[in-house]
Amino acid sequence: MEIMHDILKIVQERGGEIKKTHLMYKANLSHNQMKLYLADLMKNDLLENKTSGKKQTIGITKNGRNFSIKYAQVKEFEKTFGL
Amino acid sequence: MKIVFTPDWFLNNDLLIEVVSFFVLITFFFLAIKGYKINKKKSLLYLGVGFLLVALGELATILTKIVLYYDTTITREIGQTIITYQVVKTVDIFYNIGFFFQKILTLLGFYLIYKIPSKKIVSGDSLLVFNLIVIVALLGSAWYFTYHITALLIIFLIINNYYKTYVKEKISNQKILIAAFGLLALSQIIFLFSQIDYFYVIAQSMQLISYITLFALVVKILKNGKKT
Repeated sequence: MEIMHDILKIVQERGGEIKKTHLMYKANLSHNQMKLYLADLMKNDLLENKTSGKKQTIGITKNGRNFSIKYAQVKEFEKTFGL
Repeated sequence: MKIVFTPDWFLNNDLLIEVVSFFVLITFFFLAIKGYKINKKKSLLYLGVGFLLVALGELATILTKIVLYYDTTITREIGQTIITYQVVKTVDIFYNIGFFFQKILTLLGFYLIYKIPSKKIVSGDSLLVFNLIVIVALLGSAWYFTYHITALLIIFLIINNYYKTYVKEKISNQKILIAAFGLLALSQIIFLFSQIDYFYVIAQSMQLISYITLFALVVKILKNGKKT
């Protein structure tokens, strides 16, 4: 879950769109790990594939942005109570 | 025997304080459950249940006080039922049951919140503690101070847990949390003298400030979450 949130955060910090290779490098994940996480995130409609011409990128969805906020709030809540 | 220590001029205000407290506690419950749904952490679930129990304790107070203050048809109906069954103490039994639930739910809720950092929430001594809490709640109607002393001790233990976490992590939110529970502890001390009108009002007001502080913490958590 933590890694998934990190991925969403990275995409958000890049303005909501990022190249797969950049994401892999930034998230410090192997190609196989990346594939698994991306599949999961896309299945849950948190990330989506974007194509403009030849350029293929990964974009964050509205659900993804909402989830990212909720997750950060839960993290803050947990930290406050020392959980 | 006096059932509540609220002075006449404060009758509706204390009910309002209980309502505010209930809403703050239920907000914490929903936040914790929202967190549990996202990351399935058991400690979040226990924290949520802890706050829910305290909230239900407040709800028990609210409902009992509404009947007590406004003498609605429920009182009359219950009064008749009790008369039918030839119970001696009539409506008093209803109030005592209401306040018994308030005490037992509040103490169980706070105890659960205190136990969260422990590896085992339910351990060998849980049955003993549960038994003691039931006794305190039962005695609470006749000797109100037993309830407030027990609540005070559990709140102190909670504060101690949060203080240890604060020393380790130094998170500003934890300072607010400690302050809120500190005020709640102080209100329990003042409640011990609630036979004096003004002390009851001061204790209730202190409780309100404590829950408002907790609400401010909720707002801060939600805002910070949006920023990150």
